Amino acid sequence: MPSWPEKPRLIGKSIPRIDGLAKASGKIKYPSDMRPEGTLFGVMLYSPHPHAKVTSIDTAAAEKMPGVKGVVVIAKAGATLRYHGDDIAGVAAETEEQARDAVRAIKVDYEILPHVVTEEDAVKPDAPKIVPSGNARKGRAQTTGDPEAAFKEADAVVEAEYSAPVITHVCLEPHGLTARWDRDDAITAWASTQAVGATAGELAGRFSIPVTNVTVLTEVMGGGFGSKFGADVWGLTAAELSKKAGGRPVKMFLDRIQEHLAGGNRPSAAGKVKIAGKKDGTVTAVVATTSGTGGARGGSNFPFPYVYAIKNVSREHTEIFVNGGGARAMRAPGHPQGCLIMEAAMDDLADKLGIDPLEMRLKNLNDGDKVVDANGKPTISRAGIYREQVPIGAKLIGWENRKPRGQNGKGPIKRGYGMALHQWGGGGTAVNKVTCTISPDGSVELKTATQDIGTGARTILAIIAAEILGLEVKDVISNIGNSTFPPGQGSGGSTTSPSMAPPAFNAVSKARDEFLARVGKAINEEPADLTLQDGKLDVKGKAVMSWKDACRKLGMMGVSVTEGFAEGLASGGVAGCQFADVTVDIETGVVKLNKIVAVQDSGLILDMLTWRSQVYGGVIGGLNYGLFEERVMDPGSGLMLNPDMELYKLAGLSDIPEIVVHAHDTPEMRARGVIGVGEPPTISTAAAIGNAVTNAVGVRVNKFPMSPMNVLNALNAASNKEGKA
Amino acid sequence: MAEHDPTKPRPGTSRRDFLRGSGLAAATAVLTAPAVAALDEAKAAAVEDGPKVLSGELPITLQVNGHEMSCKVEPRSTLLDTLRHRLDVTGPKRVCDRGSCGACTVIVDGDTVYSCTTLAVSCQGHEIRTLESFDTGATGVPHAFHQHDALMCGYCTPGFVTACKAMLEKNPNPTIEEAKRGLDGNICRCGTYVGVLEAAMAAAKAMKKEA
Repeated sequence: MPSWPEKPRLIGKSIPRIDGLAKASGKIKYPSDMRPEGTLFGVMLYSPHPHAKVTSIDTAAAEKMPGVKGVVVIAKAGATLRYHGDDIAGVAAETEEQARDAVRAIKVDYEILPHVVTEEDAVKPDAPKIVPSGNARKGRAQTTGDPEAAFKEADAVVEAEYSAPVITHVCLEPHGLTARWDRDDAITAWASTQAVGATAGELAGRFSIPVTNVTVLTEVMGGGFGSKFGADVWGLTAAELSKKAGGRPVKMFLDRIQEHLAGGNRPSAAGKVKIAGKKDGTVTAVVATTSGTGGARGGSNFPFPYVYAIKNVSREHTEIFVNGGGARAMRAPGHPQGCLIMEAAMDDLADKLGIDPLEMRLKNLNDGDKVVDANGKPTISRAGIYREQVPIGAKLIGWENRKPRGQNGKGPIKRGYGMALHQWGGGGTAVNKVTCTISPDGSVELKTATQDIGTGARTILAIIAAEILGLEVKDVISNIGNSTFPPGQGSGGSTTSPSMAPPAFNAVSKARDEFLARVGKAINEEPADLTLQDGKLDVKGKAVMSWKDACRKLGMMGVSVTEGFAEGLASGGVAGCQFADVTVDIETGVVKLNKIVAVQDSGLILDMLTWRSQVYGGVIGGLNYGLFEERVMDPGSGLMLNPDMELYKLAGLSDIPEIVVHAHDTPEMRARGVIGVGEPPTISTAAAIGNAVTNAVGVRVNKFPMSPMNVLNALNAASNKEGKA
Repeated sequence: MAEHDPTKPRPGTSRRDFLRGSGLAAATAVLTAPAVAALDEAKAAAVEDGPKVLSGELPITLQVNGHEMSCKVEPRSTLLDTLRHRLDVTGPKRVCDRGSCGACTVIVDGDTVYSCTTLAVSCQGHEIRTLESFDTGATGVPHAFHQHDALMCGYCTPGFVTACKAMLEKNPNPTIEEAKRGLDGNICRCGTYVGVLEAAMAAAKAMKKEA
C-alpha cells in the first residue's frame, strides 16, 4: 500500500501558491475576464416581483433594438415567478449597454400573486399558500430514549429559542459563463464554476450533444462557496443565445443584485430547545423543534443535536417555504446552523448548572464516534481529538480569564469569552484520475479535470509531483480547470484534496518508476540504483546529471501515466474547536472582537501556507455570519432590501481581530493522510462569538447576527422580564 | 508617480460633483458650514465649466498604463466596463458595481478611484494606472501579496493590490492602523485579510529597502 514520504522535503512546508503572482498582478484571466473574438454581451431579465404569473411577454421591441442579436424567453406566458430575482429572459447584444436597454424593452405583463417572504409571515394561519401543500412542511419527530422522564430527573432544565437568518454567498465573481458554439455539436464555455465536469454535463444534456464535445474551462475562478456546481439557467441561456447568434460567444454573468437574489444562500435556522442536565455536567436530554427556510424549494434541515452524545433526544424539523431565492450548499452546509443552536443551548445549560461550559463540553463528547484512518477503518476517536484540542485552544484564548455569565463588571463595557466545537466529514472519492507527463525537454505536467476555487488545489498537485521527482514546485505545470482532462473532483464538501492527492501521488510515482527504468536502460545503470533529488539524477547516491539531461535520455517519447485513487493516502472526518474573546458596549450594543482562536486538525497538511489561509478564511466567513450578515426581506413589497455590498454587511480589514490558527498537526493526524479543510473552520466561529457576547453581557443574545440591534433587544427583553418579575 | 493637479478636475465622484449633480446646489436647507462652502464651490464651478451634453457612441482615447488606448463608448459607459469590455484590461474586477467593495480600484492621476462609478468619458486626459503595470519583482506589492498568501480565489486581489500600491505611494511608512484604514475600502469574501495586512506591511518594508 502506498504511503506519503516520512520525511518530506516540501509537503507540509509553507509554499506560496503557484498561480499567486499571476493573480496578484491582475494578469491571469478569470472566466469573467474572457472576451473571445466576436463576443456578445448577455444580460438577464429577472423578476421584479416576489410572486407573479407571467400573463404575456413580448420581445418584439427588444429584438429590434440596436445591437441586439438574440432574445431567449425563459418564463413564457403562464409561467410562475417564485421570487424577486427569478429568471424571465436573456438578451445578447454587441455591447452590454445595448443588452441592458433591450432587457428594459421586453414587455412583460404580470398577474401579481400574494407573497410571503419571512418565516414569521409564512406560518401565519391566514398566510397565502405559496406551495399547494402549505408553507410549512413538518418532518416527523425523531426520538431516542425518553426525554420527558429525563427532564423530570434533571438538576437543571433550560428552555430557549435561538435563530440565525438567511445569508447569501456573495461570490465576488458573479455566477456565469461565456459560451461559444464551435460547430453544430460542440461548445466551449469559460465558466466560473466549482465543477467543470458537471457544468459540461449540464450543457451537453441541455442541447443533446456528446459531453466530450463540450469543453468547460476554468483556469481560475472568483469564489463559489458551494453555490457554483453547474451551468445554471443563465449559463444555458448564454449557450442558447450563442446558438441563435450563429455561434458567436455570449458572455453572461449576473449583476450583483441577481447574484444575491438567485445565486444561492444559506438557509435560515431557528430552534426551540429544551435541554436538561445533571449537576456533574452530564447533559441528559434535549428536545428541539427546529425550522428554517431555503426559499421556495426547501433544503433548510441541519444536523441536530450536534457533536455531543445525549441519551434522550427528540427533534422535529419544519421546512418553511417563502418567496425567496433557492438555498444552495454553502461552506459546510447545515453545520454552522446546527452548531450555533446546539452550542448556545450547551452554554445556557452550563450557566444554569453553574459549571464551566468548557468542562461540560468535554464531559459530553461522543466516545462512540470514530473517524477513519488512512485505510478507511473507523479506528480514531473523534472525542479523543477534541480532548487534545480544547485545552490548546483554551490556553491560547486565555480561558482562565473568563468569568461566569453576568459577572463582567459594573461599567457599560463588558468583556466575554465563548467557545464552540465542530466536526466535518470530507473524505475523498475514488473515481478520479490524474495524468502525469514527463517530457524529453524536462517539463512535467499534471492534468486533471478538477479546478482551484481559491483553496490552492493547483499548488498541492505541483507540490506532490515536485516532492516525488526531486524538483521544485515551480518546475511542475499543474494543468487543471478543463473538463476534457481525465475526470477530476468537483470542489465541494472539502473533498478536492483527499480525492485528488492520491491519484496525483500514484500517477507521479508510476511515471517516476517508468522514467527511471528507461533512463537506466539508456545509461546502462540499474534502475534500482537511480534516485531523483535536488533537480538531479543520482546513481547510488551520487549526482550524475541534471534533471533536464536525464529527461533527454528519454529520446523522442516522454513518459505519460494516468492513475487513479489508492487507499492509504487520504481519509476524512475531522474535529476542531474555536474560541472568541469579545468586548461589548451594552449602551450601544456594538460588539468588538478582540481575538479568535481556531484549533483544527485535517490529517496530513500538504501546504501549510494555503492551509492556514483556508482556516483564516473559514474563521472570517464565520465571523461575518456571527456579526454582520443578513438577507433582509421586506414583508410588504416582498423584495430583498440589501442586494448590494453596502447594506449587506461584510467585514473589512478593520473588523478583523487577532486570529490565532493552531494546526493540530500531530504524527497521529499526519498518519491519516490527506483531508480537506475548506469547510470545518467556518462552522463554529459564529457559535463561539454568540457565546462570548452572551458571557459578556450577561443575557443570552439569541438572534444572530450579533448586531447592535439584536444585542440591545436581548438586553431590553431581559430587563423587561426582570421588571415584571 | 503623478501628483494630482488641483487645478484639473479629477474624474470620479467628488463632493462638489455630487452636490451639483444631485441638485442640492440649488437647495436652501439649513446646512453645516463645510456643506455651505462646498455648495458655493459647486455653484461657482457650474458657472465656470457648465454641463456638457454627450450622447450616442463616442470615440475616446484613454491613457492606460502608459499607452494610448482608443475605443468607442457611450457616455454612460463606466471606466471599469470600458477597460474590461473594450480594452481587455481585465485586472480591475467588477464585483459590486456600486463603489462599495473596491475590486475595481484603479489609480487616476495618483489617486485611487472606484472605476465602476467613474464614467470613461471623464477620464480622457488623465493618467490611468491598473495593477497590470505594477512591478512584479521582489520589491513590488504583487510579490508581497504572493509571498504572504494574501489571496485565495483572487478576485478581490487586484483591488487590494492597487489600493495598497496607491497607499504606499502616498505614505511609504504606514503604521498597522494606517494600513488597515488605507485598505478598508475593499472587501474580500474568502477571508484573506490577515495575509493582506502582512503583505501591505511587508511591501512597505521592501519598498524602503529599494529606495
